[in-house]
Amino acid sequence: MNLNAVIVGHVDHGKSTLIGRLLYDSEALPEDKLAEIQKLLEEYKKRFEFAYFLDSFEEELKEERTIDTTRVLFKGKNYYTIVDVPGHKEFIKNMLTGACHAQVAILVVSAPDGVQEQTRRHAFLVHLLGIKEVIVAVNKMDLEGYEQGAFERVKAQTTQLLSSLGYTEPRFIPISAMEGDNVYKPSGKMDWYRGPTLIQALDEIEPEMAGEKPLRFVVQDVYEVDSEKITVGRVESGTLRRGDELLFQPSGVVAEVTKIKVFPAEVEEAGVGESIGIVVGDGPRRGDVAAHKASPPAVTSSFLGEVALLEGTLSRGERLEMKCGTKRVDCLVLEIRERINSETGEVMGKGVEQIGANEAATIVFQTEPMVVEKFSEIPELGRFILAKGGKNIAAGVILEKGI
Amino acid sequence: MLDLKDLENRSIYIVRETYAEFEKPAVLWSTGKDSTTMLWLCRKAFFGRIPFPVIHIDTGYKFKQMYQFRDDLAREWGLDLVIAKNEEAFAQGVGPKEGKFECCTKLKTEALRRCLEEHGFDALILAIRRDEHGIRAKERYFSPRDENFRWDYKDQPLEMWDQFQGLLGAGTHMRVHPILHWRELDVWEYVKQEGIPVNPMYFAQNGKRYRSLGCEPCTSPIESNAASIDEIVEELKTTKIAERAGRAQDKEKTFTMQKLRALGYM
Repeated sequence: MNLNAVIVGHVDHGKSTLIGRLLYDSEALPEDKLAEIQKLLEEYKKRFEFAYFLDSFEEELKEERTIDTTRVLFKGKNYYTIVDVPGHKEFIKNMLTGACHAQVAILVVSAPDGVQEQTRRHAFLVHLLGIKEVIVAVNKMDLEGYEQGAFERVKAQTTQLLSSLGYTEPRFIPISAMEGDNVYKPSGKMDWYRGPTLIQALDEIEPEMAGEKPLRFVVQDVYEVDSEKITVGRVESGTLRRGDELLFQPSGVVAEVTKIKVFPAEVEEAGVGESIGIVVGDGPRRGDVAAHKASPPAVTSSFLGEVALLEGTLSRGERLEMKCGTKRVDCLVLEIRERINSETGEVMGKGVEQIGANEAATIVFQTEPMVVEKFSEIPELGRFILAKGGKNIAAGVILEKGI
Repeated sequence: MLDLKDLENRSIYIVRETYAEFEKPAVLWSTGKDSTTMLWLCRKAFFGRIPFPVIHIDTGYKFKQMYQFRDDLAREWGLDLVIAKNEEAFAQGVGPKEGKFECCTKLKTEALRRCLEEHGFDALILAIRRDEHGIRAKERYFSPRDENFRWDYKDQPLEMWDQFQGLLGAGTHMRVHPILHWRELDVWEYVKQEGIPVNPMYFAQNGKRYRSLGCEPCTSPIESNAASIDEIVEELKTTKIAERAGRAQDKEKTFTMQKLRALGYM
């Protein structure tokens, strides 16, 4: 099993250091990596930091900050893909790029500093991304003499923040990434703490099993191979079986699946995540979503979404490109219902004309006909990217369709 | 072990997105295990026949077994092979002795740049992986290069939920990295599972084998007795030696790989 965990939190609260420590203590590093870093440090006259296992750009070493996201594979009881993200506000798009496939977020909060601006913003974005599990690592306990009082103070602050976002029972672990306490190895310095180490807490997570959802198959393309039309795409939810009758939307094609092809063979059925080819005759095209008639995909041309804007501005009446599944459509910003502070989640205005970079908003979009789903029901078709002049500028999730 | 089926499904999805979204894609093939796996995934994505050209960058310094392997497989799989070679620099005697940075830039990056110019490719599929090198770990699946071939690593695009950045202007191109999330061990497990042909240089002879293949003057074998795929898989499960330990261009100076890649190196 592989679990994706993203490490989030404020600048300098110790995200990269934490991952460096995990790699180091689990002896997952190649022999020459430490020597390579020692050489670098001499050349650049820097003190050793565990973060340098992750921060591999010259600028990251010189400026002592993470610029872009990295991921490493790490083995506990399970395999973990651990994603490091930058803490600076200017790199939020890199943070989202790293965090978007995570099932678990580890929120790092420095014990001496407590909850700060990016702690709040990252927590808000983790919530927006629909990440259900949050573990809070209260870091730098060594700087607080490993005292319980410091831990409890930060715990109270963070509990308040997280409960406002709907996280009712996050797990709190006092750690020192620098000294290695309660990360991979249990600490001998905090007798008052009886809970798991970070790695044990990860091992205890049971990933949520997606219940059987209705079939959604997104069409990527149609190929002609040896004069047979093969419609290729991915099963995003449910199960597709040979012999099924499918409805494709928005093209409206109804057809029976006569073959499911996975080169060089044919298979009887395909489940979530599988990239397959199906033979259904002529008609479907890129951007279509196929489903069974019993739970058909609804075609919509307007919906309410919650959007995080990463750069530039977004105004009422503006037209942009929207990407959802394999569909690319023009969309219109019909109404900006609420302008939201992405640090606090606070509504800063209703019925506004414009939002700016690093703000969030609930927006009513008008689009060409397309198939979307509510993010809470089928997330794979309930999330979208907005592009302006070809550039990806915002990410959003669908709250209500057919507004 | 990671689920090879998950890795494969995601890679095939990315290859098909590339073919759907770009006008003139091509795939790069060094003849090594990763890019040969990449070709295999392309064959799977398109049900046997790769519908775009396969570029081999020929520095003139590759091992002769690599040329042999290339020509044999190109014939067997019916590849539309395009050889990219900077004949001019090679004729002038450019080589690793005058500096590896310059050699790699002229014989690889510049050869590729000319090939792109000549054929008008707008997307290049490459088989780099995150676990190979810290700089490659920072990459996106879809990574734009500007008209001067440069990688703006300080301002990379937003890439979420398999929604990828498109091209941003004339003369630019996209680097596409469908197996970015695979590890070295996964590649070998997959090679075994699928029966993908690999160059015999990967298998140990007289206590040495090549773990990563490049140009003859800059690539050294490692100490190993792994003479079969099973033995390689076992070796990788316990090794503490980095995969590219035998690749000289990574190590000449600090941040060489970053500087090479910023200029458009693979």
